[in-house]
Formats: sequence, structure tokens, C-alpha cells
Amino acid sequence: MMRRVPALLTATTLLAAATACSGGGSASSSAGTAFDPKSCQGGTLYILNQTSATDEHFDPARIYTSGGGAVPSLVFRTLTTRKRVPGQAGTTVAPDLATDTGTPSDDARTWTYHLRDGLKFEDGTPITAKDVKWGVERSFAPELSGGIPYLRDWLVGGTDYKGPYKGRELDSIQTPDDKTIVFKLRKPEGDFPYVATATQFTPVPKAKDGGTAYERHPISSGPYKVQTHVQDKSLTLVRNPNWSRTVDDQRLACPDRIEATYGLSAAVINQRLSTGAGKDADAVTTDTDLSPAELARISTDPTLKKRTVRGQFGYTNFIAFNTKVKPFDDVRVREAISYAVNRQAVVNAVGGSSLAKPATTFLPDQAAFGYQPYDAFPAGPTGNPAKAKELLAQAGHSNLTITLAHRNNDASQDGPAVATAVQEALKQAGVTVKLQAYDQASYRSVQTKPSTEPGIFLAGWGADWPTGGPFLAPIFDGRQILQDGGNYNFAQYDDPKVNAEFDAINKISDPLQARPRWGALDAELGRQALTVPLFHPVYLRLYGKNVKNTYLDEWRGSYDVAMVSVK
Amino acid sequence: MTLYLLRRLGSLLVLLLVMTAIVYGIFYAIPADPAVLVCGKGCDGGRLASIHHELGLDQPITAQYWHFLEGLIVGRDYSSGPDVSHCAAPCLGYSFQTDLPVLSLIAQRLPVSLSLTTGALVLWTVTGVALGLVSALRERRLTDRLVTVFVLGGLGTPVFVSGLLLLMVFCGWLKWLDFPVYVPLTEDPVGWARNLILPWLTLTILQSAIFTRLTRTGMLETLSEDHIRTFRAYGLPERRVIGRHALRGALTPLISINAVEFGAVLVNAMLTETLFGLPGIGQLIVQSSNNVDLPVVAGLTLTAGLAVVLANTAADLLYAAVDRRVVLT
Repeated sequence: MMRRVPALLTATTLLAAATACSGGGSASSSAGTAFDPKSCQGGTLYILNQTSATDEHFDPARIYTSGGGAVPSLVFRTLTTRKRVPGQAGTTVAPDLATDTGTPSDDARTWTYHLRDGLKFEDGTPITAKDVKWGVERSFAPELSGGIPYLRDWLVGGTDYKGPYKGRELDSIQTPDDKTIVFKLRKPEGDFPYVATATQFTPVPKAKDGGTAYERHPISSGPYKVQTHVQDKSLTLVRNPNWSRTVDDQRLACPDRIEATYGLSAAVINQRLSTGAGKDADAVTTDTDLSPAELARISTDPTLKKRTVRGQFGYTNFIAFNTKVKPFDDVRVREAISYAVNRQAVVNAVGGSSLAKPATTFLPDQAAFGYQPYDAFPAGPTGNPAKAKELLAQAGHSNLTITLAHRNNDASQDGPAVATAVQEALKQAGVTVKLQAYDQASYRSVQTKPSTEPGIFLAGWGADWPTGGPFLAPIFDGRQILQDGGNYNFAQYDDPKVNAEFDAINKISDPLQARPRWGALDAELGRQALTVPLFHPVYLRLYGKNVKNTYLDEWRGSYDVAMVSVK
Repeated sequence: MTLYLLRRLGSLLVLLLVMTAIVYGIFYAIPADPAVLVCGKGCDGGRLASIHHELGLDQPITAQYWHFLEGLIVGRDYSSGPDVSHCAAPCLGYSFQTDLPVLSLIAQRLPVSLSLTTGALVLWTVTGVALGLVSALRERRLTDRLVTVFVLGGLGTPVFVSGLLLLMVFCGWLKWLDFPVYVPLTEDPVGWARNLILPWLTLTILQSAIFTRLTRTGMLETLSEDHIRTFRAYGLPERRVIGRHALRGALTPLISINAVEFGAVLVNAMLTETLFGLPGIGQLIVQSSNNVDLPVVAGLTLTAGLAVVLANTAADLLYAAVDRRVVLT
């Protein structure tokens, strides 16, 4: 098993390199009539993926998405959703099942929503507030694990609630009438409308709920319903006759039918999309980006270049420190490593400047997160080993040897390529770095449990929605340190002042007001060298030559399948 | 013969017991916690404990193994939320990742793997024997040299390279074939075969190289034996000497080679399925190993172990049928 990944990676590179020699060949630019949302309906959209587009479970309680996801959002409508427009406005929230993005009261501890008129499930049954409440409640059942963790922490009584199947309701979700739903939170949460985009806010009819069996035929509230679904193999969606654009202004739902195939290799997906033969001309992918080798081919082929969306999902790759382990408890050692890192070498290791941007801030460089540029340890693009040596000498380390943990493959950009670049840079500063590789599954278990967490390791963090809160709180809020596993506060940093600032910003329900506060907090945390931000990845994704309206969805950094057309 | 089969059955049970115990042992030794993967990002301690309990991971590894064996013999009950569902014996449990019954997962994917391996087996046997035969009869001539080049190329090219090359040439450049998608044999036999041609060829290139070499060696060895010289001295036509007497002697070892090679074929089939996106057992092995999905890994170990033992038993029986000197005890 350990040898398989490099073997397939080699194969991927080989295919890309070989097809690069072919010069692309048959691809042509998107042809035909211009896109018109009024007449875009018709045809079949094909999705070519490596993994399932609906996670391991096609159950709204169990899916972990950002903004409702790509394919899940075609079947599951939520109280709110991401605004489906190009540009920065695409990082804001729009009403979906609800009439607005929510009314806060009691310092954003209470959020009230009213449902639109005319909402129906696929079988024609009206959607009520009780169905939304049931949908949220069932996501607390231990049998239906995998969804977002926020509700357990945020809703009053959420910590001990085990779901509705044993007959107990969650009193902090109230439904005074069929159209109104009220959420009572334990503390102020100005970002609640963003969380309400998650599929856990999908209505689920109690009468059709079979617990873990519900995923066999989840009841649609969106433009498509499930015709067939074989987990990890295929999914076919057809139109939901009880949905229309009059009750949904956020999805165009142009294709009549959507057929997804899973289990394909990345090299084959990109080859099929670029060749565009037959049905592949009407195809997209929701999980496969271009590799550095494939990018080399695309950049020399103007027709293929036109069929690429280049975007950035809010994500930061960084070096994590466990400050409970020596010598990383000493801020001078952490600062020395911050100075020594050669970001240019790291960016080159992941494919160059087209696929990554060097990072000196923990927040991604997008306005929605509250990004404010800063560099707490300015060392230029290639690092400052002399300054690093000086700090290490002050800390009493003349011949420091450390062990850097990393994943055993480069698919998540936290593998041997980046580790070797860091190792080489630290060598210039007199630090000997031993590398320790972990397999895919072990790596996450080891790093998220404080008792097994390495002293220094490569990590990455992506936002569940585009604001500063979900980006900073799990990593730096001391009250989120989890001893038994699932911990992302890798530094195990707990500062009451910082915790208080998190609480203060969470009270702000206007994202524009919250942004400068998140940016300032990021800069404050950056000065403490709790992490070394390395780069923000950039994603490039191909689409078939007949696919239209593939504008960049700024929330997720790719095209939006609810908006594309093949007609 | 009965004694032989009973003995084989006994050793099969012991082997499967040991194999699954080893899987549980490895699972216990590695640091990965499947509950963390199941629970998702930002999972708190209480939730994690609930999932440990749900998956039975809060029990000692010996108890977990015992429950696994218990499920195989008498079945088990599982909570599905509102209800409790019963998994009848032989129950391999439910996948940690997908909650689907392991037995049905395997049953669903078995036809894909069987389609791949059976078709490829026919192809590589025919190609390997034919090329080996030609090579032996044209020893040290140009044909023999060309076949040797093919053998070296086939043996030295991993399936993920040969498979990609085939895809590039036939689907990307020449466009003679669509990129393969698995179509069940029962739905569309022609589509089934058309979509499996490239995966079959991928496995055939490697395996037929092995067969070619063995057939060539076997033929040359048999042709130099006394009884062949005697047949020729009696004036038997060359075609009959080769086809009826020499080939039979040369092919007998290939039966056991197919059985011995079965394990390697499984590995290559796994890579082929992953490359071509065929939803077979091999792809399931990769997915379940990556996700530390113990019930699926244990179920697949049982299936693979069973298949290897059955292949070897079948080879022994065939060997005895072909070569009357072999007696099974």
C-alpha cells in the first residue's frame, strides 16, 4: 500500500508529460450560442470524479460542505445558501428556503427564520419549519456522524443532545408555527447565517427518515431528485417536478439530467476533459484539479486555457508547532524557523507560482476573511538563515536537531515535497531536520490528539465559510483544545485575552464590521509564531468544451454546478 | 480425494482465522483512529466517544475480533438510528465509512473484478502460449528475438504505465475507443467487452509475458526429451508431435503457475481497476485501506484468502486430471 501512491503519482505525471508532447490535439473552445439563463435548460451534464461528490453518505446530516457544496446543493436546499453570483459578492450569504438571511436578537444569541411560500419536497408534500428542525436534530445522532461540529457547541443543550430518535427534542430549536423556526444559541454567533448554508439545515420529513438508511433515497427539496445512487460508483439526478425557479432564485439548474461517475483516476479525468470526446464535452469535475505537469500542457494550448477556471478556496498550508513539546515551547526557536523558511522553494515544490501563493498571514488573502497583509518575520522570499542562527544562539541551540512530521504523499501538499524544501532551508540555518512520514489515515489521528501530536509538522486549514471566525477560532481559541482527538488548536494555545476577542467579534452580525477585527487578530496571533504560514494553494480546474456559464464561484474557488449549462 | 478435500477445508479455515487475526492485529498496532475519520473535522471528545461506542471501538481488540467471528457464525444486531437492524450470518459487519453491509459491498463489486480477471486470464493464456510456442519453434531466429523483446518489455512495464499508454493511444489520440466505463455483462454484453478491452490488454501484457517465457522454456525442455525423439523416429507428423505430445507436457506446469500467480494477479488487478476507474474489489481495497475501514478490510482479506486457496485447490485438481501420475492424498 505504501508503494502504491508514488507509483500512481508517477503514472499521473507520465500521462501528463506524454500528452504534453501530443500538443493537446482535438480540444476546441466553447462553441455554439451564447449562454442565456432563460433558455439554458436541457441536456445532460456529466460529472467525472475521483471520489463521491456527496461524501461517504448522501445524507444531509452527514455531509460536510462549505456553503452547501457542489452536488449536495442540487438536491438539498438549506435555510440560507451562498450567493450565486460572480465576483466578491459570491462570498456573501443569500436566503434559500428562508425569506432572509436571518434576524438576530439578544446580541446574536437568537436567530429567527421564516420560510418562503410554496416550498415542497419532491413528493409534493409542503416543507414546514418542523422538517427543518427534524433535519437539524437528527444531525446530532451519533449514528449520523460526519457533519459540521458547530451546532453541538453553539445550540443551547447541544453538547449533551444525542438526536431525536430516542424521542427527545432539542428545546433550543423552536417552531412556533409551520413557517417560523427559532434557534437559541449558548453564546453570540454573528456568523450563524453562514452556518445555515450547511446541509444540516436541510428539511427532512420525519415520516421518511430511516436513520442510516435515509441516504438510500434522501428526499429532495432542490431542483433535482435522486434516480439512482451507488455509493462510490455513480449518481444519476433527474428534475424534481416540485421545484421551480419561482421558489428558488439561487440555482439555475440548467441541465435536465446529471450523471456522475466516481472512482476515476485524476490523470484520466483531466485527459477526458481535455480530449472532450462524445459525452465528455458536456462534462465537469467537482474534485480534480490540474497537476503541475498537466498545467504545463494547458499553458501552451490556448483552447484548453480558455476551458480552465482558476480560483482560490480559502486555505492555508502551514508549519504547525506543538508548544508543549521542547524546543518549540521557546518562542525564539519558533521565530528562528519562521525566519529560516524559504517560501519560494516551498511554492516551487508544489508546482510553482501558478498553483500556490507564498503566505505570511494565516488568513487567506481574500477580503471576505478580513485579510490584512503583514509579515511578522520578514525574511524575503528565500528566508533569512543568518537571523535564524542568531535567534537559535540566543535560545542556546547551536546544533539543533528536530523531527518534522508530514504525510507520505503530496496529494494534500503536506507531503515529502514540501517537507524536503523545509528541511533544506533549515539546514542553511544550522538545524538538522529528520523527516517522519505518516500514512493518510494515521496522520490525521496523530496530529489531532494532543498526547500523540508531533512537535513540528506540516498542516493545512480551510474555511467552512469565508469569514475570519471559522479560520482562526478552531486553531487559536484555547477553549477549543480537545484532548481526546479532533483537536486543531495544534499549538495548544490558550490566552484569555484572545478568547475574549473571539467572543467580542462573534457578537458582530455585520460581516463588513467584523472583517477588520479578524484581520487585526490574525496579525496579533502571527507575531507569536504559533504557526509558520507557507502558502495559499490556487486551484485550476478544466471543464468540457460544451459547458457554459462556468464563472468563478468565489466562495468555493471553482465553477458552480448549479449554474452551468450544456445547452 | 475426499480426504484431500477435507484436509484442504481444514487448512482453509485455519488460514482464514490466522489471516483475519493478523488484520485485527495490524489494525490495533497502527496509530490511525477510524472514529476520527468518521466523526469529521472539529469533532469533540464526547462525540468521538459516542462514535467509538457505535463502532464498537471502545472494546478491547480481542472482543472486537470475537464479535467479528460471532457475526460470521450467528449474525449480529446494529443500531441504525430509529431501528435496530439484524445482519444475518455470515455477517461481515458494516463498513465504518459508508454503513453499508460488507458482504453486499463485496458482492456488488465481485462481478467487476471477475469480468476483468477472467477475460484477461483467457487472453493472457492464449497469447502467452501462442507466443511461447512460436518462440520455441523458431529458437534463436528473428521471431524468437522479437518475442523475447516483448517478454522483457511486458515484464518490465508496470500496469499503471502500460494502462496509461493504452488509454492515451486508443482513447486520447486514435479515438478508436471511448474511455472505459464499466457496463455489466447482463445489461450489454458488447458494451461490457468493448469497455474492458483496454483493462484486459493491460493485464495481458504483463501476465502473457510470464506465460510466454514459461511456455518457451517448457517446450524447449520437452522437445529435447527422449519420448519426443522416439515419436519423431517413428515418423509421427511434426504437427502431431508438437500439438499432442510436446505441448501437453509443456503446458501442465502452467496450471499451477496460474494458481501461484493468483496473488500477484490480484495486486495488478487492483492497480488496473484504480487506473481505469473500474468499481471492483481492487478499488474497494484501496479505499477501505486508506480509510482504516476495518470491517471491509477484514472482509476483503477473507474473500481474497478464500479465492487464493480455491484457486490453488482447483489447480491441484486440474493437475491431477491432466497428469495421471499425480495422486491427491
